[in-house]
Amino acid sequence: MKKLIAALAILATPLATSVAAQDFSEGSTAKSWNLYAEVPATFEAEVVDILCTVAGDCAAQCAEGRQLGLLRSADNVLVFPNKNSQSSFNGAAYDLHPYCGKMVDVDGLLIEDEDIQGATNIYLVQKIKEAGAADWAKANKWTKVWAAKHPEAKGKGPWFRRDPRVNAIIADTGHLGQGLSPEEAYEITR
Amino acid sequence: MSLKTSIAAVALALTAAPALAAEGERVQITGEIIDTWCYFSGVMGGPEAVVGSAHHTCALWCSAGGIPVGLLGDDGEVYMVLKINGDDQSASGDTQLTLASHEIVADGMLYKRDGLNYLVVEAVVEDRGITNLNHEDFGVVPGFAIPKPKK
Repeated sequence: MKKLIAALAILATPLATSVAAQDFSEGSTAKSWNLYAEVPATFEAEVVDILCTVAGDCAAQCAEGRQLGLLRSADNVLVFPNKNSQSSFNGAAYDLHPYCGKMVDVDGLLIEDEDIQGATNIYLVQKIKEAGAADWAKANKWTKVWAAKHPEAKGKGPWFRRDPRVNAIIADTGHLGQGLSPEEAYEITR
Repeated sequence: MSLKTSIAAVALALTAAPALAAEGERVQITGEIIDTWCYFSGVMGGPEAVVGSAHHTCALWCSAGGIPVGLLGDDGEVYMVLKINGDDQSASGDTQLTLASHEIVADGMLYKRDGLNYLVVEAVVEDRGITNLNHEDFGVVPGFAIPKPKK
């Protein structure tokens, strides 16, 4: 019996190792962002609440506003989507939220940079769909959700110039956080 | 224990173990609250340029925009912040936004998984404000963060 159990354990180890080295770029149609360490990657994963998965804090799992991760089916690695497909400082939580607890297919860019400490399993998600579904959804929801939450901030220019919370902080301590006026901050940074 | 039971127990352990939450470690870490995407991706330059006062406005935009914030420790490690002072709004939450670019001393629980550090900050022991005045070296990053004053 002990031999059987040991054999099963030994069998599991090389399997996990070989899967971990898998290349996820095959089949990806992700667009390049010309980042030094980007690698196209498409894979199946479960959308999980990271706070629940890593720390066991699950009472409010999948609630809006919590960071969501991708638990990759092939190797059980937890990938952290830091970014969606938009180019204006937007994370991926709103795009992943409808899928929390579900299996999905994603396509995007993995960041694996040996020169930056900790830059591993970081992801920019560009497309998402329920696993096996035909149609992809673009991961670009952030600005629409923000606009719906901030009707008072409607106006010209990108959202980040109109965000009430950001503007309140900048009005208080300046663009550099040093209490300088916009004119002063502009001048000393040229 | 029967043979079938033993095999089932081993199989369950092999499949279920990775899904369980990791054991946490109590830590106290001093560092700067950063936006992790700019830091890890290099999209706006090297790591030294996407922290501190030079990058403060962008750090506010990224934090408000739901990009995960991290605590860049004095040890050079990045600790992904999942909860801070009881606030679990780690995607665009108020607490983390007010600390953008600040040097803090954080007391909490550290979890590690798949090469990343995850931090549940139970208390911000000390908030030292923005102490890395690297705008003196890098200006403002990105350059458009401060609009050109209207004449």
